[in-house]
Amino acid sequence: MILEVRDLFKSFGEKKVLEGIQLYVEGGRALGLLGRNGAGKTTTIRIIMDVFPPDSGEVLCDGGPINRKQVAIGYLPEEHGLYPKIEITEQLIYLGKLRGMKAKDARAAIAKWMKRLEVDEYAKRRLETLSKGNQQKVQLVATLISNPDIVILDEPFSGLDPVNAALLKDVVKEIIKEGKIVLFSSHQMNYVEEFCDNIAILHNGKIALAGAINDIKRSYDRNVLVVRSLQKDAIMQYCLNDIKENIVTASMHRDYLKVTLKAVEQKGAFMAALHAKGFDLDSIGVYEPSLNDIFVQYTGEEPQAEGGKAQ
Amino acid sequence: MKQLKTVFSFEFLGYAKRKSFIGLTLVMILIVAGVLSWGRISEIFKQPAGPEEPGTPAPAAKVALLDDAEGAAGDAAFYNAAYANQGFEFVAVNLTKQEAEQAVTNNEYDSAIVLTGPLTYTRIVRTLGLYDEFAQRFNETMLYHYRAAALQDHGVDQTQAQALLGAAVKGDVRFTAEGKSQEQSFIYTYVLIFMLYFAIMMYGQFVSASVATEKSTRAMELLITSSRPTSLMFGKVLGTGFAGFVQMVLILGSAFVFYHFNKGYYTDSYVINSLFSMPVSILLYTVLFFILGFFLYAFLYASLASLVSRMEELGTAVMPVTMLFILAFVVSMISMGSGNVDSLLMRVCSYVPFTSPMVMFARIAMGEVMPLEIIASVAILFLSTVVVGVLAAKIYRLGVLMYGTPPKPSNIIKMLRNKS
Repeated sequence: MILEVRDLFKSFGEKKVLEGIQLYVEGGRALGLLGRNGAGKTTTIRIIMDVFPPDSGEVLCDGGPINRKQVAIGYLPEEHGLYPKIEITEQLIYLGKLRGMKAKDARAAIAKWMKRLEVDEYAKRRLETLSKGNQQKVQLVATLISNPDIVILDEPFSGLDPVNAALLKDVVKEIIKEGKIVLFSSHQMNYVEEFCDNIAILHNGKIALAGAINDIKRSYDRNVLVVRSLQKDAIMQYCLNDIKENIVTASMHRDYLKVTLKAVEQKGAFMAALHAKGFDLDSIGVYEPSLNDIFVQYTGEEPQAEGGKAQ
Repeated sequence: MKQLKTVFSFEFLGYAKRKSFIGLTLVMILIVAGVLSWGRISEIFKQPAGPEEPGTPAPAAKVALLDDAEGAAGDAAFYNAAYANQGFEFVAVNLTKQEAEQAVTNNEYDSAIVLTGPLTYTRIVRTLGLYDEFAQRFNETMLYHYRAAALQDHGVDQTQAQALLGAAVKGDVRFTAEGKSQEQSFIYTYVLIFMLYFAIMMYGQFVSASVATEKSTRAMELLITSSRPTSLMFGKVLGTGFAGFVQMVLILGSAFVFYHFNKGYYTDSYVINSLFSMPVSILLYTVLFFILGFFLYAFLYASLASLVSRMEELGTAVMPVTMLFILAFVVSMISMGSGNVDSLLMRVCSYVPFTSPMVMFARIAMGEVMPLEIIASVAILFLSTVVVGVLAAKIYRLGVLMYGTPPKPSNIIKMLRNKS
C-alpha cells in the first residue's frame, strides 16, 4: 500500500495553514512528520483522516482516492484523551463500533492489544484510575483495535517512563514490520531516527525538507570533520596557526573538535598532517548533523531555515 | 446511520447504567409513591389507637365574644349554630376589649370578636392565617343576622325570613366541545409545565455537559476521527432525549399506578383528582412539546458546548440559551397565575419556537386555542428545530476542533460562511 498526499492547500479564513503539502509513504515504512507547533502537522493529519476536506489537493491510496470503508486509519492524537469515568473495555468497544467493527471482533482485538501492551489487568477499570503511562498505552490500544492499514502516531512517547517507552517502541516496530504505513509525528528526534526512513519537515504550512534521513545527512558538505582526541587543544592551536590556509573554521566542543576545511579534497592531506605531527587521535570522521540540528536549521529563526535551503 | 445508532446506544446505556440517573429515578418514584400512598399509610397508623379515639374531632378553637352592640349583631348561641362542626366555639364573655386582648395573648382564647354594631366588629387574633376562611363566614353570618332582623322589623315572620335568606341560586355550567374550566385544568397544567421546564432544562444541560466533557478530556480527538461529527451530535441528543423520555414515563407511569392503587383514599382530594383526571390529549401534547422543545434546546446546548475547551467555560457559554428558556417559563407561569393565558404576549410567544413549547402548551391546557393555531405553532416549532439542528451540526463540526477561547457569535457566523 502507498499513501500519497498531493498538493494539499488549506486555509482557515484568511490564514493559510497548508500550502502545497506533498507526502509519500510506502507500506512497511514510517514517515516522520516534523515541524514546530502550528506548522500544519495536525491539519495535514486531519485531512488524511477526512475530518475536513482540503481546499485543494488530494489524499491517495495506491494512486487512487482512499476508500474509507476499506482502508482503516488508526490515530493516536497528541492530546491523549478517552472517557475518564467509563470502563476501559466499554469505551474501546464503542470506538471500535464507531469504526465499523462488530462488538465481538472489537472485544477480541481489545483483549489482544491490552495483553500485548501489558494493561489487560485494567480492562474492567475506569481510565482515571490508571497511571499516566498506562492511560497512554490504553490510548494506543484504541488506535490499533480496528487493525488499521495506516497508523498515525502523534507524540506517542511523551510522558512515558523508559520501560513503557521500550515496550511501545517494540510495538511500533512490529506494526511497521507487519507492512503498515506509519506516520510518526514527534519532537523527540531520537525516536524519529529510530523508526523512520524518511522525514518531512513542515514549516509555516510548507514542506521545508523531505526525503530519506540518510540521504539528507549525506547531502551535507563533506568538508566538515570531527576530530576526537585528548590533545584537542593542541590540535586546535595547530589548525589555527600552522595550517590555517586550509581551514575555514575550527571550533572546540565538549568532547570533539569541529574543523571545516576549505575544500573536501583536503581531507586526506589534513588527516596525514595530524598523523605526521604525532597527535594521539581517537577518531576522525566526516561530520553528520543530527536530526535535531537539521530540524532546528529548517524550522528555527535562522535566515537559511526561513529560505528553505535545499539539500 | 450505523454510527448514529452506535452513539445513540452508547449515550442511552450510559445514562441507564449511571448510578445518579438510576438513583434519581428511584427517588422520584419513591416520592411519588409516598405522596400517593399517604392516605393508605396514615390510615394504617390510625388503626392501633384507642376505641373512642377514631372520629374524635380536633379541639375547637375558642372564640371569646364581647357584645358591645348589646345583641344587635347576634349572640354566642347564634354564632355557634352558624359555625356548627366548623371547629370554632363561641363563648360569651364579659370582658373589656383590653382584657379580651390580654386573654388572647395569654392563650386563654384563640381569638376574640368584639361586636361593635349590627354590621361592625373587631377581631382580635395572635396570627392571621394565609387562607383565613373564618372572616368570610363570620361576615356572611353577621349579615344574615342583620337582614333577618331587618325583615322581621318589616313584618316578615321568622320562618319566612329564613326561607327568603336561605334561598339559593342553582347555576349549572355547560362547556362547549373545546371549553374547559381553568379551575380544573390549572393544577395539572401547572405540574406539567414544571415537568416540561425541568425535563427540557435538565436533559438539555446533560447534552451540553456531555459534549463539554468529551472536549475537555480530549476524547473528542478520537471520536471525530472515528465517526462523523453529525452522527456524534445527533446520536448524543437522541440518546439523551430517549433517556429523559424513559425516565419521565417511569415516573409518570408509577404515579398513575399508585394513584389507581390508592384512589379510594383521595375521593375528597381536589388537587390529586384534578391531576389524574387530565384529558389524554393533554398528556399527548406534553410528550409532543417535550420532544420538540427538548430537541430545539438540546441542539443549541450541544452546539454551544462544542465551542468550549474546559468545563468551567460551559456555564457562561450556554447561559443565553438558559436565560431564554427561563424567560419562556416565567411568561407561562405569570400568565397562568393571572388566569389570562390567551393574552397578547402569550399569543405572540406561542408562535416563537423558543417559548412555544411551554407557552402554547399552557394555552392548549388552559386557554382557548383554535386547532389551526396549534398546527401553526407546532409546524413553526418543528421547522425551527430542523433548522436549528442543521445549524447546530455545522457549529458542532467546527466547534469540536477548536480549542482556546470560545469564539464570539460574529466569528461563528464568519466560520459558518467560510464552511471551514
